Amino acid sequence: MSTFIIDAVGALSTAGTLFIVSAGLTLVFGAMRLINIAHGSFYMYGAFLVTTIGAAGAGLRFWLAVASGCVAVGLIGTAVEVSVMRRIYNGEHLTQLIATFGLFLIFADLALKLWGSSSRTVTAPAAVDGRLTLGGATFPEYDLVIVGFAAAAGLGLWALLQRSAFGWRIRAAVEDPEALQASGINLRLLRTAVFALGAGLAGLAGAVVTPQVAVAPGMDSAIIVSAFIVAIIGGLGSVAGAALGALIIGTAETIGTVVAPSWASAFIYLAMIIVLVLRPAGLLGIPEQAR
Amino acid sequence: MTAVWRPAAGLAVLAAALAGLGFTLGASQLLTLNEAAGLALFAVATNLLVGYGGLVSFGQAVFYGIGAYSVALGWEHLHWSYWEGLAAAPLLGGAAALVVGLIALRARFLYFALLTLAFSQLAYEIAENQYHLTGGANGVFGAMLPVSLAQPRTGYFFVLAVTAGCLAIVWKVTASPFGLTLRSIRENRHRAEALGVNVFGHELIAFVVSGVFCSVAGALFVVYSQSAYPELLDWTQSGYAVFMAVIGGMFTFLGPALGALVYTLGQQYLVAHTTQWQLILGAALVLIALFRPDGLAGVSGLAARRLPRPRLARSTLAAGGEDGEPDGGPAKRPPGVAGEARR
Repeated sequence: MSTFIIDAVGALSTAGTLFIVSAGLTLVFGAMRLINIAHGSFYMYGAFLVTTIGAAGAGLRFWLAVASGCVAVGLIGTAVEVSVMRRIYNGEHLTQLIATFGLFLIFADLALKLWGSSSRTVTAPAAVDGRLTLGGATFPEYDLVIVGFAAAAGLGLWALLQRSAFGWRIRAAVEDPEALQASGINLRLLRTAVFALGAGLAGLAGAVVTPQVAVAPGMDSAIIVSAFIVAIIGGLGSVAGAALGALIIGTAETIGTVVAPSWASAFIYLAMIIVLVLRPAGLLGIPEQAR
Repeated sequence: MTAVWRPAAGLAVLAAALAGLGFTLGASQLLTLNEAAGLALFAVATNLLVGYGGLVSFGQAVFYGIGAYSVALGWEHLHWSYWEGLAAAPLLGGAAALVVGLIALRARFLYFALLTLAFSQLAYEIAENQYHLTGGANGVFGAMLPVSLAQPRTGYFFVLAVTAGCLAIVWKVTASPFGLTLRSIRENRHRAEALGVNVFGHELIAFVVSGVFCSVAGALFVVYSQSAYPELLDWTQSGYAVFMAVIGGMFTFLGPALGALVYTLGQQYLVAHTTQWQLILGAALVLIALFRPDGLAGVSGLAARRLPRPRLARSTLAAGGEDGEPDGGPAKRPPGVAGEARR
């Protein structure tokens, strides 16, 4: 029982990080039909910014670093949207993939220049750095922090998308952008805001996860693949699907680690393959139409 | 048939010129050209999917890496000679492509691109984690070449010959009724389907053919590197192949090969003069995407003037007409299909 609780908390924590990243990815896809390969770069920058800002400190300074990392990445996202993304929304998928792959390479190279190639570690604030015992199981307190952040992000996105004017404008921007513009909404600004929000979510995930991982170059390439898998399992464009996908992948990875450690990552792909064989457009996705 | 053979003759002239370089250039330049030739095959094979099939695969490095690993692991564990590894590469690569294709081709558009990308990452992680078999992140290094291939000059001629032979085969595939049908699927999938074309079957065959030649390209990689390592399987490696196809012109047959040459020379030059070559490559990609939004084929106009570019649609229509209709009747050649349609 105790190992089950430990594994379950671990799976939830993994799923939490994955959800925050993938929610940003799928949000941007849902609103602009754009797949951003550089989304993983935003995640990595969030993590690196925390190592820089919160390097010496613990406690309040760490949380400030997380917040400013998230905001800074949101600003980077804004700059990227204004300079590149808004020009390729109407392009072909290949154009979008090529452009964002280019951005991915640029960000990776700049990160190498700014932060070097060695890996960095971050210590969580003392208040959440301990271990918690529950039902005979002991697990890191910080796992719960990540789950909390994921839940907050999920609730916030739900409220934003389902219960606010911003949310219905995003839906309208997909359904009928021209009618939306005709009704006096600034579509450009709306898209910039959505993209910045998506980037900020990736930055937040990267910032929050720092105490649990080695922050190093290559995080960008690893997380983007996981985020793609989560997003396509759930169905591109569906935030609820991203939550579902993240839970499935978090569980699959944890089972893999327990059953066959050196094949752990293969379990993720196995889960993805099974889901897509059953539902080629993801669990909550709608099959994409030819354009 | 002359319309088909003219580009083939052009190809032969090009190959002769490249062979001439083999006698004049120094060892390090030959290695560069060697790499360009291997990557050219990789890019052209990838473009069979991206350009001809409209299937944007970010997973061709799986087969490229399998080709390299077939040689390297066969040498290390089974004491194979290079030739045995080279013979095994297309078989293993084709088998892997069949499995990946059966799964990935169920998905369309972006889902397909992302699925193939995920397979690339899976292959990368397997190669990295199965340390006892693959040597993990370090990969396999060693003198796995016969003496005859280990010299730059003979190695170069060998790579060039294999590349030329494979390109000729891929060319025949693209110029066949099969290649034409593949393009018709790219242009209008539903129409092809309505005409009775087995869309999934054609795409799967294209995927396997591409995988076979990507594997051969991977086996050629060993000739100039004498190694195999996990990065060969990585999705960024797949991305580079797509990039070469795009930069050289994905709606031409030899465009991707030109892209591979530009990429290799550019990388050599930039690595020698700056540490920021990835940055410059990335910037180039963004600029291409921003200023060639017409499916990025605009660049191919350049390739058309410089290379003996086959007139894809017309020549194959002619070829199909003269060869009769071997296996599909009218459904194999839907009307209104033209490689030029996208320009």
